[in-house]
Amino acid sequence: MKKTLEVMGMVCPFPLVEAKEAIKELHTGDELEVQFDCTQGTESIPRWAVEDGHEVTAYDQIGEAAWTITIKKK
Amino acid sequence: MFQMIVTGLLCGALLGFVMQRGRFCLTGGFRDMYLTKDNRMFYALLIAIAVQSIGVYVLISLGVFEFTAGTLPILAVIIGSFIFGIGIIFAGGCATGTWYRAGEGLIGSWIALAGYMLVAAMMKSGVLLPLDKAVKNVELRSNSIAGSFGLNPWVVISVFTVIVGFLVYRTLRKPTVKIPGLPPKRTGLAHLLFEKRWHPFFTAILIGLIAISAWPLSAATGRIAGLGITTPSANILQYFVTGEMSFINWGVFLVLGILFGSLFAAKMSGEFRFRLPDLKTTINSFSGGLMMGFGAGLAGGCSIGNGLVMTAMMTWQGWIALAFMILGTWTASYFVYVRPRRKNKQATHAVPA
Repeated sequence: MKKTLEVMGMVCPFPLVEAKEAIKELHTGDELEVQFDCTQGTESIPRWAVEDGHEVTAYDQIGEAAWTITIKKK
Repeated sequence: MFQMIVTGLLCGALLGFVMQRGRFCLTGGFRDMYLTKDNRMFYALLIAIAVQSIGVYVLISLGVFEFTAGTLPILAVIIGSFIFGIGIIFAGGCATGTWYRAGEGLIGSWIALAGYMLVAAMMKSGVLLPLDKAVKNVELRSNSIAGSFGLNPWVVISVFTVIVGFLVYRTLRKPTVKIPGLPPKRTGLAHLLFEKRWHPFFTAILIGLIAISAWPLSAATGRIAGLGITTPSANILQYFVTGEMSFINWGVFLVLGILFGSLFAAKMSGEFRFRLPDLKTTINSFSGGLMMGFGAGLAGGCSIGNGLVMTAMMTWQGWIALAFMILGTWTASYFVYVRPRRKNKQATHAVPA
């Protein structure tokens, strides 16, 4: 299962806070795609993901100041 | 005047560039010490302080300029810094952070900046000046840490540098997981400057070096001070409404430079876009800006003026301000991030399934 979390327009640290909440609802192996435009999130979201033991399966810049990251729950 | 414009803009642009690329966010750093028990950005700040301290005291020893710590307006520093700390959580960035995020195109930061400049100017020459003066009247004689103990400043700097060295060694020795990065789309210098993620400690060394260079560059134009954000930000507004040239100084071009440097960095890395906040964020940004202006005005400095510069000068003002600023961010973080979540959880538990 894959869930998409769209947090464009949210400022740091809310994209990360929302992602942490959203992943709680998922089961192991499910994926969470986060779309965000907060620059600081490019550092904080992948850091949180791997430090919590999840796997980052996709990460890319999709436009001017817009990013997408997919995290597979551990 | 020409020299002031060129060196001020240049120094500011370098700072804005480095902060944008290095994601150097003190607000986030202070907040995460509490929220996620992550001290990395705080240690990065300590590195920048140590680098600057050594550099500036070498320049002072060489007689490039003179520095006296002056008196310590203890009450103003404590109250002001605490309010400033609360303000930067609401504004989503400290004074410098707000200047460089304005350069990334965040309209919320423009709004915070407006509130910040307004109240800072009110404190410096407006209706709040009597209040500012009254609180600052409560002062202690000695502001220099070395002076209070009758020590040579180099003793204090050496002890501090050893502590920072130990913290850095301990942090770097820890095994780390590899943080996934964005797929590189560029090579060579363009990759290093506009794409690669910078280690916060590397960014901190660069910021320390820029902070050293600010002293002689600024002193050469008659302003004997290092990096400063609050007074120059207020000066811009004071100049606009009075037309008095006396408000124009090196610091004014420094803060404008931060905006241009960050704008350039963001544009070149595909990270610039005008972004409009929602209503709640807008209100938070503006009220945060007002608190920042009041707090920094009262404390005589923001996270840069007090937190990075006065700390490096080894003054009580700098370190007391830093401590209370951090306490302010923790207090606000509790009300903004921690408590609403607890309430949510309680609310969901209260409803029978």
